Amino acid sequence: VTPRGAARISRRGALRTIAAAGAAAAATGVAEAREPRRPRDDDAGMLFDATRCVGCRACQTACREANELPYERKQANGGEYDAPLDLSGSTKTVVKLARGDGESAYVKTQCMHCADPACASVCMAGALHRIAGGVVAYDPGTCVGCRYCQVACPFSVPRFQWFTAFPAIVKCELCRHRDGKGPACAEVCPRGAVVHGRRGDLLAEARRRIAAAPDRYHPAVYGERDGGGTGVLYVTSPRVSFAALGLPTLPDHPLPQTSETVQHGVYAYGLAPIALWSAVAVVQLRARRKPEAAGQGREEAE
Amino acid sequence: VTDHGHEAPLGGRILTPAMKLLLALAVLWAALVAVRLVFGLGAVSAQNDGYAWGIWKPLNVVTFTGLAAGAYAVGLVTYLFNRGEYHPLVRSAVMAGAMGYTLAGTSVLVDLGRWWNLWVIFWPPVWNLSSVLLEVALCVMAYTMVLWVEVAPAVLERLRNASSPRVSAAARRLLPPWQRAMPFVLATALLLPTMHQSSLGGLFMVTETKTHPLWHTAWLPALFLLSCVTMGFGAVVLVENLAAMAWGKRIDGRLLARLNVVPAWLSLGWVALRLGDLAVRGRLGLAIAGGVHALFFLLELALFLVPGVRLLSARHRANRGRLFGSALLLVLGGTLYRFDTYLLAYQPAPGWRYFPYVREIAFSAALAAIGVAVYVLFVKRFPILSGVERDAAAPAPRAAARAAAGR
Repeated sequence: VTPRGAARISRRGALRTIAAAGAAAAATGVAEAREPRRPRDDDAGMLFDATRCVGCRACQTACREANELPYERKQANGGEYDAPLDLSGSTKTVVKLARGDGESAYVKTQCMHCADPACASVCMAGALHRIAGGVVAYDPGTCVGCRYCQVACPFSVPRFQWFTAFPAIVKCELCRHRDGKGPACAEVCPRGAVVHGRRGDLLAEARRRIAAAPDRYHPAVYGERDGGGTGVLYVTSPRVSFAALGLPTLPDHPLPQTSETVQHGVYAYGLAPIALWSAVAVVQLRARRKPEAAGQGREEAE
Repeated sequence: VTDHGHEAPLGGRILTPAMKLLLALAVLWAALVAVRLVFGLGAVSAQNDGYAWGIWKPLNVVTFTGLAAGAYAVGLVTYLFNRGEYHPLVRSAVMAGAMGYTLAGTSVLVDLGRWWNLWVIFWPPVWNLSSVLLEVALCVMAYTMVLWVEVAPAVLERLRNASSPRVSAAARRLLPPWQRAMPFVLATALLLPTMHQSSLGGLFMVTETKTHPLWHTAWLPALFLLSCVTMGFGAVVLVENLAAMAWGKRIDGRLLARLNVVPAWLSLGWVALRLGDLAVRGRLGLAIAGGVHALFFLLELALFLVPGVRLLSARHRANRGRLFGSALLLVLGGTLYRFDTYLLAYQPAPGWRYFPYVREIAFSAALAAIGVAVYVLFVKRFPILSGVERDAAAPAPRAAARAAAGR
């Protein structure tokens, strides 16, 4: 094909493209700018106070019972223990020991219930999704077990059942099945280290504790803005950093904000895909009418 | 009779000793799938909650489809830029592409924990349009079908001469409308890889805090798209040469030499984009900071830079051996970039380790063997390869099967 012919093709292609793109834009409208979803004061939440936790693990056991999760049995010296070492396919919360600067602290881990969760952003069919009230919920009915949630979660919270024929993703859902009674872990905490409530109230409570004993607390509340804000908030001693508690350093914006902006930007109004598709189709249709200049004509001649 | 430039079946015996080895590997693969279905993914794979995606994603899905992107690479040149002279390369590349994508899809199916819920992919009301993986899943599935639609004319051409008059009449009736639809099929065949090959990099946009800054960039989609095309060109040269070694297929050296200036510029463009992006973000220092990440980053750069520079030379491209070497480097570079992004650069949290089981690697190897077996079966029976002897002398399929059964 001559350069002149190619130029004609692209001009005609461009006209068709613009018309088609207009129709597609009207039909879809999927490419709005991605705004961060901010936490709300009346979201369900939890406050963990690392200065108060004594490591009794009542929360761990209560969680296991309330969620009907099997024991993680470990044998040692002829005795048997329910001793989960980490979150897993049968453990939704676990208490670990954090080593700080000349001081150690217990830390409870579970889903952070992000205001703008990465797991929900990447989940193909919305099996993980944020429900009204702020809980990041899991619906096994639409989960295909692709485990992208595990890859995407900055806290590495969702866990998978690796050794069963019919596995599921396992993670804390703030005991949403207990009909408004709140999470079992907070109910049994004897020290007020795990508190359940509305996020706004919990943030106020965290600030109250810090203000009442500024020498015993790190001035920041983890989760207030980290990763765009989480439903679960942490306060700690000035000698045990949030990093020591195992909480990652996150930007103040939610992680899906950047990824979804790029993804939706590329596909804005389906313009780019429609342009490419039309260009190839037009080039090939023209080539067929002039077999001698075509890549495709040869086959027809056969 | 030779008919250079037109495709013909290779003919010949199907059940060669090599083919029997491939079939034995296929049986091994089926056994591993059975173990996975009964005892769970952990029984065949070292994947864990930290490394929830092991080697099956970067190898079976992203590298296999990267190699299969030969169909996309040659297609772009032949159909978008309308360079018909490259047509003799198309069918072989499309056949390899169809196999590569079918294997990738199969691997994903086995890797899905809750495969019985796969219906959600076909049920738009539950789709989450923000999910990059959903886009990948839909595009890869659609593209696999499109590739087989592109392969179909080769099969129909052969069936026109089938011994059963019903089959040959049906093939004759089906072929013309099939080819009339081709412009739209081809347009789709070039659109879909553009979308999902870039998205295979876009998957890691969201892991901003888990992916090493030498790899995490908003340009991930562009870098994956560019490198799938360079890999695809490399794969086309490799497959042409392997077919020449195995079956004495003649290679149009001038055609390959002219074509492979394209991956030269794309490779160098990839290097420029990679370095330019790091420079703009002020992260170039990480490349010389030492450590395993810097080392692999530099190795990647070399694997793109060296073939990129070498392929610029027309004399280099005209030498079949050297072109083969550069093609191999193109494939290795793209493969390393994929493994690095999916595994090395991915750092879930302190303490997590992953190294694949032998049976996990065997799963991938056996899957590749199945792909090779089907490719060989197709090029022997259907007009896929150009530059081969027409198989007038070769035994008909049924006779070959009888001969094999009698042995």
